[in-house]
Amino acid sequence: MTVAPVVADDVVGEIGVAIPLAITVRSASESSASSTFLLGLPEGAFIADQIHGLRVVGEAAVVEISDWNLANLTVTLLPADSLGATDVFAEAAILDLYDPDRSRTVTERVNGIASWDMFERALGGPLATVRAARGRGLHLVTGRVTSPTLARQIGGLLHALPEAVWHVHEPVDDGNAARGAERAFGRPLRALPRLDRAETILCVGADPLGAGPDQIRLSRAFAERRRDPARFGRLYVAEAALTPTGIKADARRAVHPLDQPAVLAVIADALGAGLPVPALPEEVRRFARAAADDLKAQEGRALVLAGPALAPDLHALTHWINARLRAPVDFIAPPDRIEGRDPATLADLAAALDRGGVTCLALLGTDPVATAPADLDLGKRIARARFSVHAGLHGDETAGATHWHLPLTHELENWSDLRATDGTASLVQPLLRPLYDGRSLHEILPLFAGLGATAGHALVRETWRETWRETWRERGGADFEGWWRRILHDGLIEDTAAPLLDPGAPRLVSPRLVSPPESRRPEDLAIELRPDSCLWDGRFANNAWLQECPKPISKQVWGNALALSRKEAARRGLEAGDVVRASVGGRSLEVPVAIESGVAEGVGVLTLGYGRERAGAIGNGIGADAFRLATQASPWLVTNVELRKAGRSETILRTQNDVVIEGETKTLFRQIDLAALSEAEPKGIGADQPSLLDPWKGDADGHAWAMVIDTDACIGCNACVVACQSENNVPVVGPEEIARGRMMHWLRVDLYDAGSPEAPRAGFQPVPCMHCERAPCEPVCPVAASVHDGEGLNLQVYNRCVGTRFCEANCPYKVRRFNFFGYADGQPYANLGAESVKAQRNPNVTVRARGVMEKCTYCIQRIASERQAAGRDGRPMEEVATACQSACPTRAIRFGDLAKPGNPIAPLRQDPRHYALMEELNTRPRTTYLANLRSPNPALKEDRT
Amino acid sequence: MSGTARPHRWIDRERLGYGEICAAVADPIQRRGPGRAWIIAFLGVLPFVLATVIAIGAVLTVGIGLSGVNTTVVWGFSIANYVWWIGIGNAGTLISSMLLLTRQHWRASINRFAEAMTLFAAAIAGIFPIIHLGRPLYAYWLAPYPNTMDLWPQWRSALVWDFWAILSYLLFSLIFWFTGLLPDLATMRDRARSRIGRRFYGALALGWRGSARHWAVYESFHKAMAALAVPLVCSVHSIVGLDFAASLMPGWQESIFPPYFVVGAMYSGFAMVVVLAIFIRWGLKLQAVITPSHFDAMAKVMLFASVVMTLSYATEWFMGWYGGEHADRAVIAYFFTGDYRWLYYSLLFCNCLVPQALWFARVRLNFWALAIIAIVINLGMWLERILIVWNTLSHGHAVSLWRTYHVSVYDVVILIAPLGLFAFGFLVLARIFPIVSIHEVSQLAHDEGAARGGTA
Repeated sequence: MTVAPVVADDVVGEIGVAIPLAITVRSASESSASSTFLLGLPEGAFIADQIHGLRVVGEAAVVEISDWNLANLTVTLLPADSLGATDVFAEAAILDLYDPDRSRTVTERVNGIASWDMFERALGGPLATVRAARGRGLHLVTGRVTSPTLARQIGGLLHALPEAVWHVHEPVDDGNAARGAERAFGRPLRALPRLDRAETILCVGADPLGAGPDQIRLSRAFAERRRDPARFGRLYVAEAALTPTGIKADARRAVHPLDQPAVLAVIADALGAGLPVPALPEEVRRFARAAADDLKAQEGRALVLAGPALAPDLHALTHWINARLRAPVDFIAPPDRIEGRDPATLADLAAALDRGGVTCLALLGTDPVATAPADLDLGKRIARARFSVHAGLHGDETAGATHWHLPLTHELENWSDLRATDGTASLVQPLLRPLYDGRSLHEILPLFAGLGATAGHALVRETWRETWRETWRERGGADFEGWWRRILHDGLIEDTAAPLLDPGAPRLVSPRLVSPPESRRPEDLAIELRPDSCLWDGRFANNAWLQECPKPISKQVWGNALALSRKEAARRGLEAGDVVRASVGGRSLEVPVAIESGVAEGVGVLTLGYGRERAGAIGNGIGADAFRLATQASPWLVTNVELRKAGRSETILRTQNDVVIEGETKTLFRQIDLAALSEAEPKGIGADQPSLLDPWKGDADGHAWAMVIDTDACIGCNACVVACQSENNVPVVGPEEIARGRMMHWLRVDLYDAGSPEAPRAGFQPVPCMHCERAPCEPVCPVAASVHDGEGLNLQVYNRCVGTRFCEANCPYKVRRFNFFGYADGQPYANLGAESVKAQRNPNVTVRARGVMEKCTYCIQRIASERQAAGRDGRPMEEVATACQSACPTRAIRFGDLAKPGNPIAPLRQDPRHYALMEELNTRPRTTYLANLRSPNPALKEDRT
Repeated sequence: MSGTARPHRWIDRERLGYGEICAAVADPIQRRGPGRAWIIAFLGVLPFVLATVIAIGAVLTVGIGLSGVNTTVVWGFSIANYVWWIGIGNAGTLISSMLLLTRQHWRASINRFAEAMTLFAAAIAGIFPIIHLGRPLYAYWLAPYPNTMDLWPQWRSALVWDFWAILSYLLFSLIFWFTGLLPDLATMRDRARSRIGRRFYGALALGWRGSARHWAVYESFHKAMAALAVPLVCSVHSIVGLDFAASLMPGWQESIFPPYFVVGAMYSGFAMVVVLAIFIRWGLKLQAVITPSHFDAMAKVMLFASVVMTLSYATEWFMGWYGGEHADRAVIAYFFTGDYRWLYYSLLFCNCLVPQALWFARVRLNFWALAIIAIVINLGMWLERILIVWNTLSHGHAVSLWRTYHVSVYDVVILIAPLGLFAFGFLVLARIFPIVSIHEVSQLAHDEGAARGGTA
């Protein structure tokens, strides 16, 4: 078995190196579980092995997303103390790779299927024109660029053709924060809040724990700190509608987005800013004052975060507040700039198109027609370019507006590199040979520079050869090859994090604080637009896993809805599911109404990314396109919206309908006040109760697998849900089946709320199979398809199951899932039966047939792999990580062997927060929980429990 | 009682000789054609038979997903229909055996079709547990057959008990019905004019000659079977009750379920017999042998069952509250306030309130009123069965997965169409076998004194 990579000739469209080195080295030396793909080089048959190999060594090999540009995805090995986690988008990326709707070939609008050669010939004419004009008329549009190689390439192109224009369009950007930092400090800076050091935190419209490029880092820091009760701190959240951050808050108020500036002003005034504070509802004012007192008292460990929708001035004000609080915030130079250049915007492009000055327009890896604010009307304007080309994974809306469409390779198929939010660079290595005739962005860009086709591998190597020449040669000796291999192995490139800067003292910017609540008429509705926690800006719309992934709060799947508070809906005579026409300034859209807890009065919240027209067979026409309401001036908040009933209604598809717990059902979700933690006693699984049954002797084979889930650490991000789906070949059922109340997720994240619709007091609870010692599903199965093994696992024998469903009827936790149709086997949803999707499946896990019951297995295939490895090496079994556990960014899920001395799982069961779900039923669950902790401010009476 | 106006209580003719009885029962089959009403009825039920066949074919090819079952409410119409049909099936044997053992001679006029009803209903009931399976082709795995993997059924499961209960009940019903039919088959053989008829009935009559020895063996065998039937009838529906009770779901885990299911079965079964008796009496012009007194007796049984059912419901509510278990209380509250509350109120209306009209003799003797009440009871009992399934599953322990059932087209078809299959069975039967027991009615006529001077 070789450790060294097999280097092939650098060929465009090929991956160049046959073995992803990061995995090779790790696997060859430490894990045989992934050796299947090591031996079989990445040819078709081993593709699935290869991708799953990535998960087999998942405890070390990490798929990581960096920054907003999700095109940047890397497989990398991180140091032992690394995050080693993923988010929901990274988990779902594999399905994107095998998406049957991916573009497979170059197409031209009139003649259809074309080739790269034909495109290069067609590009020749317009390119000659712009080259003659030093680049004038050449417009490049990209997403946010965080790849050093891409930045080098664009920089080189702009250097050669100085009149060419580079536009950046990132639909969900942090423009307000960037401008705010520039306004406060007088220069462009990126703030990196340190949630590991900040204890008292106030979020105003900010959702640091929600989906986003920094979710893993921030939520890990947050959860790890809160594991120490002494550093638990207190989280205040003022937001328009519930977010995962709001769920974790110790004090939360639903605050109208137009009132949020005043909350910041109250804080600033408490620190001596002397700003005029507009009128605020009394309870919000008291909340803000209490937060201000708390923040002041915790100076040095206090932090204020402002949301992306707040104006730049407010971000500047937040910087001033944080400086006053000596808040733990690091500052770096923005890592996504090229040679300090400020890229042009889409508005500039629209203007250039109107002038008729665009000779050659290249839209690379971005879909502005679907995601630009409605008032730009880019779909029509693009037609004014003399020559336009779009490169993307799909023939999306933008592809429909351009002359040419080029298929991109998926991130798992090509070479690239990227920088994380803190600037740390890492290498993106292909995991398989490209499935189709695509090329990477790196390989396409040279065409515009008039250079010949160059292989991505060579381009990335070249970037790092230059870097090595500049920095490492003095330090590390003259051997580039050795260094290159090491960074391939390590994944991360050491010492590339952006240096921390001293920003100096921020200016106190007085924001314009207008619009007190009285001036708002009750019929006015403001709609806050948010990136979707599953589809983000719509780029994942054709990913069936993400479409069927329940949104963290609303649990809605296959669509979006305008969230209104109960009162607001009642005032407008609306019921859940009523379709309304929301119109403002001539723009309108039809969207069903959802009634949600914790939404501020006078506000509706709608997520982006839905209503795509050319997403593909999965995503087309699902939900309402919120971008149609957005404008350039106000991309996140649309005010003075008029709602009118459209006269029909739709079913809001949810996977959880009942959220409220009260009285005795509160035991489902144990919540403890931090102050009462010292008196809390661990609750057992009911084994201490008198019983006529024999004592448990079921773990005869030497292991006793168990899981403990910390509900306090869970942020409801769904990474575990999709990780489980991908690991265990869990099929997608589609919206029609969801409407019938069916679903297949083996792991669900329940949301339980012990508060009221106006003041939710909620938390997340991931629920896999409990693997009960006295499993109620076992005695009721007539054919013994539900049985217990000698290691404490409750097993489902698929080929013995006849489908009586008594097991699920008798499961108090309702964790079993039934194949009412052959979802994975002959009756798939939409195009998910395509040949390419079959390649995604984990070869270690059975694909279940129609009519059988299935459920969480504690990833028995991973246990088996470890057992085989241990047997082969003649050593005892080591740790096994389930898929959900390895995905979890906050390490809320722990899995281990109760029978193994020293295993950390047993002490967790003695934690004072420990409890079991429905232990009164005497099921003796093996999956148990740690209670949610809250630390309400004693000064805020209404928050006390 | 208005019956006093009649010459005999259980025979509605001053004189009814054995020959007349034979002719009344056998002639429509052997001497006359099917008649217009029969043909119309036959054509009327054919679409239902076809719909049943299509529905079963569809669920076997497309999958159980055609039903409205979902991740939470994993059982639905199939199970409710099964319990309902097996309940209907119970009454036939109950009437036949229990009344035989208690020497209720009036049973003679109705026991034959009541037994036939049992047979058809149990057969139809038997379809449902199979087509409700995810993989119906492996239904036989519930049987302990020798196989190379040494796999046995899982004996702790109520479904395995149920498998045996249905199977033995079906076999028993068939044998019991056939035994009672033997003397009549001989009569049919002897009266047959065609060669085919003689062969057909002759083969089935198993050489019955009506000798005293035959009758002695017959009597003891039939009585022994009847004695076996009573525990079997109770066991089959008790075990159906255990399908639910042997669980840990609130609203199911109740020790009252087995007896409550048996009474429920008797209740709906008698109601179904009443409906059938009214039809058969009218259709086959058997006013002489099926008398208002029969209906009066059956109505009283229904009234009794109604009171017992009401008491059972009340016991369920009381125990739910008195037991103090939160989940039980929540489910009881859900009966009255939840998503299916209107169905639950309808159930109480149908099963508890409406049958109270049967306290009045005028209602008991009015066939229209009786037919309507019987149909209402059958509707109520079906609602009871579907609500047992829905209420508990929709509102179990896991709050996050509370959800309701979504009725599908397939569900409606398998609810309605088998009624046609049932009628189809009766129509065919009525053209082949004596639908009223000739020999037992003859004996009744003898006992009542109506047959004196008649010829056999």
